[in-house]
Amino acid sequence: MGFILTTLHFFVIGIIASFCTRICCNKGPSANLFHFTLVITATVCCWMMWAIVYLAQMNPLIVPILSEGE
Amino acid sequence: MEWFRNLPEMDLMRSEKMTSVQLIIPVESAHRAVSYLGELGLLQFRDLNDDKSPFQRTFVNQVKRCAEMSRKLRFLKDQIHKAGLLASDLPALKPDVDLEALEVQLVEHEHELTEMNANSEKLQQTYNELLEFKMVLQKAGGFLVSGKSYETAEGTELDENVYPSDYPDSVSLLEQATQSGPSNTSGLRFISGIIAKSKVLLFERMLFRATRGNLLFNQAPADDLIMDHISSEMVEKTIFVVFFSGEQAKTKILKICEAFGANCYPVPEDLTKQAQITQEVMLRLSELETTLDVGIRHRNVALHSIGVHLTTWINMVKRENAVFDTLNMLNFDVTKKCLVGEGWCPIFAKPQIQEALQRATFDSSSQVGIIFHTMDPVESPPTYFRTNTFTNAYQEIVDAYGVAKYQEANPAVYTVITFPFLFAVMFGDWGHGICLLLGALVLIARERKLSSQKLGSFMEMLFGGRYALLLMSLFSIYCGLIYNEFFSVPYHIFGKSAYKCRDASCGDAYTVGLIKYRDAYPFGVDPSWRGSRSELPFLNSLKMKMSILFGVAQMNLGIMLSYFNSIFFNNSLDIRYQFVPQMIFLNSLFGYLSLLIIIKWCTGSQADLYHVMIYMFLSPFDDLGENELFWGQRPLQILLLLSALVAVPWMLFPKPFILRKLHAERFQGRTYGVLRSSEIDLDSEPGSARHHEEEFNFSEVFVHQMIHSIEFVLGSVSNTASYLRLWALSLAHSELSTVFYEKVLLLAWGYENILIRIVGLVVFAFATAFILLMMETLSAFLHALRLHWVEFQNKFYGGDGYKFKPFSFAALADDED
Repeated sequence: MGFILTTLHFFVIGIIASFCTRICCNKGPSANLFHFTLVITATVCCWMMWAIVYLAQMNPLIVPILSEGE
Repeated sequence: MEWFRNLPEMDLMRSEKMTSVQLIIPVESAHRAVSYLGELGLLQFRDLNDDKSPFQRTFVNQVKRCAEMSRKLRFLKDQIHKAGLLASDLPALKPDVDLEALEVQLVEHEHELTEMNANSEKLQQTYNELLEFKMVLQKAGGFLVSGKSYETAEGTELDENVYPSDYPDSVSLLEQATQSGPSNTSGLRFISGIIAKSKVLLFERMLFRATRGNLLFNQAPADDLIMDHISSEMVEKTIFVVFFSGEQAKTKILKICEAFGANCYPVPEDLTKQAQITQEVMLRLSELETTLDVGIRHRNVALHSIGVHLTTWINMVKRENAVFDTLNMLNFDVTKKCLVGEGWCPIFAKPQIQEALQRATFDSSSQVGIIFHTMDPVESPPTYFRTNTFTNAYQEIVDAYGVAKYQEANPAVYTVITFPFLFAVMFGDWGHGICLLLGALVLIARERKLSSQKLGSFMEMLFGGRYALLLMSLFSIYCGLIYNEFFSVPYHIFGKSAYKCRDASCGDAYTVGLIKYRDAYPFGVDPSWRGSRSELPFLNSLKMKMSILFGVAQMNLGIMLSYFNSIFFNNSLDIRYQFVPQMIFLNSLFGYLSLLIIIKWCTGSQADLYHVMIYMFLSPFDDLGENELFWGQRPLQILLLLSALVAVPWMLFPKPFILRKLHAERFQGRTYGVLRSSEIDLDSEPGSARHHEEEFNFSEVFVHQMIHSIEFVLGSVSNTASYLRLWALSLAHSELSTVFYEKVLLLAWGYENILIRIVGLVVFAFATAFILLMMETLSAFLHALRLHWVEFQNKFYGGDGYKFKPFSFAALADDED
């Protein structure tokens, strides 16, 4: 559940960022497509990073074993 | 699909459409037209006179004149520099001086300056000589006085006594001198002069040997330093007086003086005469000083007046040189009244070029207009991307590996984001990221000031990449938050940790470990992992799998770009026999591995993925046992293995045979085409290349395809493994960061002494700045670059094009500097 919710968050942030870019620098259709590509690539990369780390911790096989210094 | 095809073309994705153009310019407007085109900077001229040597070209005289003028300008610049005047950096005024007038002016200036220099040289030499003379007079006068008294004493003795035969040499010399009766009163003559101090010893010894000891050598150091006009340095000199007798000795001594560069000055013996001459010399010296001063001031005034215009002139001459070089690339046509040129220009620039050419026709009041029309291209066009300051750095990164072929997909579009992102994966620490961000913001804030300055090569690179640095720092902050490292310290920013002790006493925490009682930590790595004993096994597993996932994703993106290239060039052969088997091969092996990773994470199964992959190849039909992750895994694995095996000959064999068949079909139609083109083409342009018959070499094509396939198959394994450097470098960064934090800062902070604490803080700061911020940045930059250049780009990039280099005055200015 937490996974899907946060994925949705990333998706929404991506859409908002695309709109912001379109509003801020509207320089013709080809430039807009380029900016859109950049924003989507960034969103996908960030989402993948988060998703990988989250999935890895969902069902871990090992747990933290504190060391003596703690 | 229709919607997909109707999308507008993306800005930086493919090169601007270029067209090959031909210009026919009447001679009277040629120079002006080329100048205006240079100002516009959007046309690349093709050199039509490639086979001619520089001296066979049309405008060779003008080029020579420009070279001569720039030589003169360089000379003037040198002179200004030597005189210590600063060249004024006034903005270049609109040059309203035309070239011939400038040439005449330059000749005058150079002549004037050389004359002034020669005169002041002579004056300076005279001045030096007089100075030396003055010093010789001062010191030698002293010797002569004592010498005179000595010799008069000797002389009186001579008159009175008779000498035994074994008297010392000097006396018999005197006797000889008195007997021969020379013009001098005593027969003892002398030469006075001045010589460099370093040579005195050798000089004395040489004189001694030459005169066989029959001399008296007196020396005294000069009081002041004298300018040696050969080496333009101040040297120490020694004044000497040599007493000798005999004509032969004199010639020998004079010759030796000349050889050693000693200057001889005649000093009169008479004291009054000495005083007189000294006075004269002083007078002349002061006169010369004033003259020299006036001369220098005059020269400086002249240089200053030149210096004001110098930059403008230099720019003008550079431009004219470039214009004539370009004019040399054009050809005269048969009537000798027009120049014909060919070149490349982007299609969007055609109206601007037309306008510039019309202006040139109008300004040169020519009757005939300039003809400008497109031609069929004979070779592949140059590649032109219109970048702005932001995308320029990334385009240069891509171009450093190879310039894109005309109209193939440009990896820079994705590199803008993935390059900083992969950098951040290897650099992830939001404390270090903030430091990088501050640096990038400083560079961007002082953009205007720094861009006009001349920077060193390192700063230049850093400044050029400031937007890349900005993105790198932003992504580093993001990845740092995910890895939960702030100078290697984790924080509980996103809520409580998911782990707690099994019971209240936390006794088990050091043996069996904590227990997970909640959902996973919502954003990033759980802070409980830092410092635990099982931290490394967990993080290593996580980061290795992350690297594989990113690698497979980026490689798939590369193959998809090759698909888009094939669609663009209408190459269905490539799609069917290259793209499809490549996708199948990569994804049935490494895509499947990624799927297994995700399933293992989602289900929490204990299956060993190494075993799964290895036994998929070694014994695919065996029962999986405890390595089973999902139902139907064994048949799926067999299917994937078979598809991978089928994909290899699929990408290897069909394409060469089909290419041969296609070429045979085309060649059959060609024989009729040869008959058609035998009619003479009246408009054939001189010097433009023609298509030549293409040969189809089957073995070459087959070997090429084989190499390509083997490279892909073996490369898929090695490239996937290569992405593991993402894990390796992020581990190294994290470990270094931990070491500096724990072993330097915490250790120093443990002591109560304030001095140790400060020293610890300073060492920590320096270690962080130099090792982590500089070295690790460079290292992660390099590895991210390699991942892009090799692993991403070898899936689709040709990179064998050439860059569009228009004839532009702006580019000239950059070139020189």
